[in-house]
Amino acid sequence: MTDLLQLLLAGVSVGAVYTLVAMGFVAIYTVSGVINLAQGEFAALAGLVAISATGSGLPLPVALLLAILTVVIVAAVMQRVTIAPVKRMTTLLSIILTLGVSTALKAAMLLIWGPEGHGLTPFPGTDFTLAGVAVRAQYLWILAVTALTAVAVTWFYERTLLGKALRACAEQPTAARLVGISIARASLLSFAIAGLLGAVAGVLASPVYFSAWDSGLALGLKGFVAATLGGLVSIRGAVAGGLVLGVLESLVAGYVDSGLRDAVAFIVLIVVLVVRPGGVLRQHSVARV
Amino acid sequence: MADTTNPPTRPARGGTAGRRFAEPAGFAVFALLLVVFPLLAPETVVNVGVYALIYGIAAIGLTLLMGLAGQVSLGQAAFFAVGAYGQALLVTRYQVPMVVAALVAVGLAMLVALLVGVPLLRLRGHYLALATLGLGIIVTVVATESDYLGATSGLYGIGKPEFGGRRYDSPAEYFWLLSPVVFLALLVARNIVAGRVGRALGAVNDSEVAAECLGVNTYRLRLQVFVVSAGYAGLAGVAFVHWIGVVNPNAANFPLSVEFLLMSVLGGLGSVWGAIVGAFAVELLDEGLRSLIPTLLPGAVGEVQLIGFGVVLTAVILFVPGGIHGMWRSMLARLRRPAPGIGRRVVSDEDDSPLLARPGRPAPGTPLLEVRDLVRRFGGVTAVGGVSFEVRAGEIFALIGPNGAGKTTCFNMISGVLAPSEGSVWLRGERIDGRKPHVFARARATRTFQNLQIFRSTTVRGNVAVGRHLRSRAGLLRGALVLPARREERQIHQSVEETLALVGLAGDADRPAADLPFGRQRLLEIARALALEPDLLLLDEPMAGLSGGERRELARLLRRLRAGGMAVVLVEHDVEAVLALADRVAVLDDGRLIALGTPEEIRHDPAVLAAYLGVDDDEALTDEALTDEVTRAAARELANGDGA
Repeated sequence: MTDLLQLLLAGVSVGAVYTLVAMGFVAIYTVSGVINLAQGEFAALAGLVAISATGSGLPLPVALLLAILTVVIVAAVMQRVTIAPVKRMTTLLSIILTLGVSTALKAAMLLIWGPEGHGLTPFPGTDFTLAGVAVRAQYLWILAVTALTAVAVTWFYERTLLGKALRACAEQPTAARLVGISIARASLLSFAIAGLLGAVAGVLASPVYFSAWDSGLALGLKGFVAATLGGLVSIRGAVAGGLVLGVLESLVAGYVDSGLRDAVAFIVLIVVLVVRPGGVLRQHSVARV
Repeated sequence: MADTTNPPTRPARGGTAGRRFAEPAGFAVFALLLVVFPLLAPETVVNVGVYALIYGIAAIGLTLLMGLAGQVSLGQAAFFAVGAYGQALLVTRYQVPMVVAALVAVGLAMLVALLVGVPLLRLRGHYLALATLGLGIIVTVVATESDYLGATSGLYGIGKPEFGGRRYDSPAEYFWLLSPVVFLALLVARNIVAGRVGRALGAVNDSEVAAECLGVNTYRLRLQVFVVSAGYAGLAGVAFVHWIGVVNPNAANFPLSVEFLLMSVLGGLGSVWGAIVGAFAVELLDEGLRSLIPTLLPGAVGEVQLIGFGVVLTAVILFVPGGIHGMWRSMLARLRRPAPGIGRRVVSDEDDSPLLARPGRPAPGTPLLEVRDLVRRFGGVTAVGGVSFEVRAGEIFALIGPNGAGKTTCFNMISGVLAPSEGSVWLRGERIDGRKPHVFARARATRTFQNLQIFRSTTVRGNVAVGRHLRSRAGLLRGALVLPARREERQIHQSVEETLALVGLAGDADRPAADLPFGRQRLLEIARALALEPDLLLLDEPMAGLSGGERRELARLLRRLRAGGMAVVLVEHDVEAVLALADRVAVLDDGRLIALGTPEEIRHDPAVLAAYLGVDDDEALTDEALTDEVTRAAARELANGDGA
């Protein structure tokens, strides 16, 4: 029982990180139909920047802000330089373009930070044991910040004018243009949001799961699987998808074989696509975001 | 939302006379280069050349996949690793002879692709790319975890190949050993692109719905190409493992998949040649960066060359989407002015003899198509509300009605482009509603489109040749081994000429289809449909955009087809033309059948008169919106792979 609780806690915590990455996929996909393969790199980059910033003596909150800001700028520049100039974006083009950016970002991180992984200093708080379950303070930080972010993002898309405008772009591009919403601006904004979400995932995860130049690859794939579980177009679906995937992985690693952890996401992806390509966790009543 | 999967440029199809000689010349020059390269280049460069050949094989496969199937694999290295591991296991542990082992190893890679492809190629968009990326991770995990596969250290001790007492162990020797393999691999890939399968998939990239209506089973062909492309990667893995002597989990690494992708993209997706050119370019870039970066940035270790890969990959797509091959083509095009289409039309005048009769066709008058209580709703709008009629062999049946009456929606449901909300469609006594359009085509029934769906990236001849898809049989294998398929290609060529002559397009055969004027594009669609030799032909507004003379000729063509026993169903706006031509007329209004009878009965039907007089501009406007919605819904259904 204690084992199970421990695995569930670990699963929910890693799942929260997937959730944040998945929301980034959804943010971009709904506006421009692009699957951003550099989404995982956003997280890795934020972690590494934060590590360097704290290493150079900056206080943790400042380092976090600096990391997040850096990644938001990188995401916006990426949109301006590689996505915006393409007139007729196709799936094939978007995959190759974002893959190119993701590869260049990976290599740049390798050149700057070297091949080894690093961990950010944990956020303040003491680890404790509750009913035999070891609870790390960082888990609570991850869960709390993810919950807050998810609520904020949902509120943004469903309640604010800007968020509604973004949704309009996704659903009715022509109508959106008619009422004066610029698709180009919306796409830029969606990349900035995705950068923000990826960066938050990166700095939250770094103290527990480490950041390395190539850690974005698996993280990106799992975020995508989580988003697909939720139907790719729904923020709520992405939240649920991330948590489900994280818990599944944790249970498989705990009860079957820890080496199979990375295989879970792929198997889940295949099963979802075979059984229900529209996403298993997406309800029809849930609004597209 | 970007839902199309068109590659930046497509493999060239339907070549002109000049290209017919250019290609063998290209292969001869390539063979010569392969022979002399190891003699002229220094050994270090030959060593790079060996890797270029090995990886080039995998890149050829990827070019086929991206160029023909319009899909990306981000896990080409996974199949490469499966091939390499398979070969290493068989050779070292079971002492299987090298060539036999290679066949099994390549087969293994193809089997894995088949298992992954069966569920995934039904879906379009990003799924195959992400799933193959996941496959790469899985193969790495399995290889690392399995003691049978040597865990992290992998399998080693695979010897250099030996043939006839000769050991191929120097770079030059191995280069020569690989050369014929690569040459054949390229030839086979070229034949696939130029043959029946390549033509059909090229058409799919232009208009999936039109290709399906001509009998192209998109899913099946894409799956075949995916499996073949994995076979190429497996073969590259085999060549790799005999050169290096070791294989470890790194073989399935993601950076290698990116490298393969870069080779294909940099070389150009428009031609399988691009893959080989790209392979040499990328290997040289790789070598250069590996030595350059550490001198610029001391302390740089690991896969630093990736930064160049990423930048080049992005830059090629942004600035030269056709890659090296595309640049070469546009250079040649500037040198050579294309010859304009000559000759107007060769129509046999005043000839009313039967056309395209075929033995085994249902006797005139027997019911061929039956539509029962067809309903289609889009959201809250009912576009078609319970329509029933029957079409008999050897008659011209017209479907008329005001704008927005649901005529095209009926066509879409009959031909399998849309699934009906309720009701059924029966062809020759078999229920076909909700099946894919290629099922409709296999039952010898096809259609044309109101908003034209010609294959824009090929010639007039190339368009009609796709119409012969079901009347020819060369599969991937037979098409790849060019000789047996040659005769069939000649027959296709012959019948395409005949079909083009029927609609008066013989003089335009080698023009790019997109260059034809609007009205002739309509005729081209009809020719394309006739090439299928259908028993039932649905024409959606065939008269639109035609001149008076062309209309009369088309009407005569349709009468001759009827005399040959074909059933023709028309949707047409030109009511006078329809009443003069059709045997029976059905009138739709607001999604309902309001009249059905001979032209004479229809002419005097009060309900029909009221419907036609009641049209005003507002309704015409809603019709436009509706057509738009129908098209989008149709595209969505195809995309989701409903009802296959």
